[in-house]
Amino acid sequence: MQMVEHPILGRKFDQEITFYFNEQPLKAWEGQTVSAALLANGVKELGRSRKLAQARGVYCATGRCCSCFLTIDGLEHVISCTTLVQEGMVVSSNVGDPKRGK
Amino acid sequence: METDLVIVGGGPAGLSAAITATSYGADVILIEESFSLGGQLRQQTQLHANLPSKFFAERGTSLVKRLTSQLETPNLKILRNHTMIGAYKNGHIGVTNGKTTFEIEAKKNIIASGAAENAWIFPGWTLPGVMTAGAAQILLNREFVYPGKQVMMIGSNSFALEVVKQLYECGISVQAIVEASETILSRDQALLSMCKKNNIPFFLNSTIESVSGSGHVEKMTIRTSEGMMEELEVDLICTANGFSPILEAFQIMSCDLTHSEVLGGWLPTYSVNFQTSNPSVYLAGNAAGITSLGSILLTGEIAALSALESLQFISERDSNRKKAALWEELYQIETFFNKDTMLARLELVKHYHSERGLPLPDFVDPLKGEMLFG
Repeated sequence: MQMVEHPILGRKFDQEITFYFNEQPLKAWEGQTVSAALLANGVKELGRSRKLAQARGVYCATGRCCSCFLTIDGLEHVISCTTLVQEGMVVSSNVGDPKRGK
Repeated sequence: METDLVIVGGGPAGLSAAITATSYGADVILIEESFSLGGQLRQQTQLHANLPSKFFAERGTSLVKRLTSQLETPNLKILRNHTMIGAYKNGHIGVTNGKTTFEIEAKKNIIASGAAENAWIFPGWTLPGVMTAGAAQILLNREFVYPGKQVMMIGSNSFALEVVKQLYECGISVQAIVEASETILSRDQALLSMCKKNNIPFFLNSTIESVSGSGHVEKMTIRTSEGMMEELEVDLICTANGFSPILEAFQIMSCDLTHSEVLGGWLPTYSVNFQTSNPSVYLAGNAAGITSLGSILLTGEIAALSALESLQFISERDSNRKKAALWEELYQIETFFNKDTMLARLELVKHYHSERGLPLPDFVDPLKGEMLFG
């Protein structure tokens, strides 16, 4: 869920944008990362693990654990917690292994 | 791309090193993996006290602005969204922004890669809704997103309690704090009384039995001190299992590593000048041992002075005088934070010097390896 006003930091974001997750249009604030914008929209399960197909979501939020991989604008397995969301961005869950080769 | 000094990491240590190095006229390139500078400071709404004398107590979020405002100088080039991914045969580092990869021909390197939180493994730990305490802090204070509605904190160190405080202040219900040992680990009186005042319960001698839910956390079971099972409804589980230095960049640069439990596990060996076993690589901040913000800022300054000295931007005499004063301040601040950290750091430095037959400076007792300040 999105916070409107932070008790210490007040307001920070002012530009609302639209992006798409698994073809659904969602609102986000410019300056947020993709994974945080999804969490703000109630999306906790970002994808599924490749072998046992278990739910995966934000774990470290610093770009190290790779639990938040998503396909972003056609590029598979992007670390979504360190990627800023942008107007019109097309985001989808990763299922299975990334495509390799040409 | 050519430069005198490349600094890898734009957190407090890297920023401190960059401010020092550019103030002596050195050309500096600062590499930062993220889209913004500041590292962990960016989500720290807590007030940092006990900082070096040139600072005053302030929140991490405002300290970032103070530090970055000192970087507006033409001899500094900042590369955000750039990651160090390798080294060339000539010893120069290679960086990439995901599109192009290139070499940075620097005479010296300072690696300030920081620390990462240690994971906490239990049945169900990969379920969405389980995250590190630091991740919850980032979502809350940097992203302005509630990571959950009802939280359980696993671990009772000061960082755990600080994050509990921040979650609570943002209106998130704190169910309990779970601690495996028989006492609360944090000795921070202000944080302990905050928990007491807000009736936040502690489960001591307790461990997580399991976490369950469909696609995300819904329930968790705790095994309490009497061996009883306690089932709680939560949608957020935060774990605070300490930090460890981030090592990839040092491994790429073939720096020797050592192990110190007190300093956070594996870390590079280094001298009193914060020089690693690779003479072109210095280090600073949490990468040189997990510590407090005051020490992080000071080690950045010492590493920068050492690199400046070897590049002849400062005389050996002036550099040593400054470094002695900085080490003294480091000793005061770090001893206040945790004396064991300072002793482990000195032990590591002493070992580096004795292995190479290098003399220790006057301010370190050559026999005991302790500091000789008043």
